[in-house]
Amino acid sequence: MDESQLIARVRSGDSAAERALYDAHVDRVYRLAFRLAGDDALAQDFTQEAFIRAFDRLGSFRGESAFSTWLHAITTTVVLNGLRKVKRFRQREADIDDAHELGAISRHAEPDLKVRLKQAIDALPEGYRTVFLMHDVEGYTHEEIGAALGVETGTSKAQLSRARAKLRVALADFAGEWTT
Amino acid sequence: MMDQHEDPKFEQWLKESAKSYHAPLPTPREEMWTRIAAERQRRARRVIELRPWMAWAVAAAAVLILGIGIGRWTASSTARGPSVAVATRDSAQATNSSPDIVYQVAATQYLSRTEAFLTSFRADLSTNHAANSARFASQARDLLMTTQLMLDSPAGKDQRMRSLLEDLELVLVQISQLDPAHDGHDADLITQGMNQSNVLPKLRSAIPAGPVPVRTEGAL
Repeated sequence: MDESQLIARVRSGDSAAERALYDAHVDRVYRLAFRLAGDDALAQDFTQEAFIRAFDRLGSFRGESAFSTWLHAITTTVVLNGLRKVKRFRQREADIDDAHELGAISRHAEPDLKVRLKQAIDALPEGYRTVFLMHDVEGYTHEEIGAALGVETGTSKAQLSRARAKLRVALADFAGEWTT
Repeated sequence: MMDQHEDPKFEQWLKESAKSYHAPLPTPREEMWTRIAAERQRRARRVIELRPWMAWAVAAAAVLILGIGIGRWTASSTARGPSVAVATRDSAQATNSSPDIVYQVAATQYLSRTEAFLTSFRADLSTNHAANSARFASQARDLLMTTQLMLDSPAGKDQRMRSLLEDLELVLVQISQLDPAHDGHDADLITQGMNQSNVLPKLRSAIPAGPVPVRTEGAL
């Protein structure tokens, strides 16, 4: 059974087809949610919400793009909106904390590559970070990213280029690792 | 021409190094699927419950008609006997027992309608799905609302009745969501579910023998 037939069966209320469609896409959706959120509980919440919305709105899916493209557009919307809420919440909590303590952490940067890389990626603007993770880490094409984020392919390419440039500057201490 | 920012060695190193960033755990498929199914069911139910004017309208109509029924019943009890003392005692008994009787009558009325509806639904499956499914979905929504009122009424406190009402609620939710463009497969699945949970036999055994009382006809 091809995917269009599977989708037709889901639309008619076939619960086995719903499960088959979920099984076919859940890994990639969860991986993307996890990469962007960095937290298992959040990734699960976002994945669940993405599938619930997709099943509820399947009637509006016209098949003009691949189902996975449509599903990933829903996923990125759910994840990015969800992360903005989490960030606002965490920001409120951080405001209560001692500002001196936060300053001390940033001044004494951890020399370990993993930690520095994480800090550098986290510090990227949201658009750059999303494109970088989708393209360089999860292997999405610029066409897929453009469709998922609702931007032109050229914008996706430009954001990736800027993200890499920023990371290169932030990780300059480790230049020896890629030049050798 | 290579962009000034392009550096294949750096990009390759970055890709390799970034694999460790937020490295995903194995996908918890079953846990998420269970929660997705539960959440969708909860939201579907909430959508129906979020129409308070409908529930209030039905409840108000039910109270009005039941009130008229009780009034007529009490009046006929009073007029029935020649002795004032006997009539007063009869009226008092009727007043004390009327809530229970009213709920029993209302429950019987509702169960009879639902049984007729589900029997008709199952029988009509084999003919003209598209024409029938919209009608069935509309009727199922009406009955679903009554089912939920019944669940919240004293009738829902009886364990056996509650279990039956919950089974009926599930079936009615499924029928109410039938797509007119469906090919009959989803209706088959609903019928299979009904057969597996023995909904119709349970429903029939819950309906007392004899004709449906006419005093509350149309009340629920």
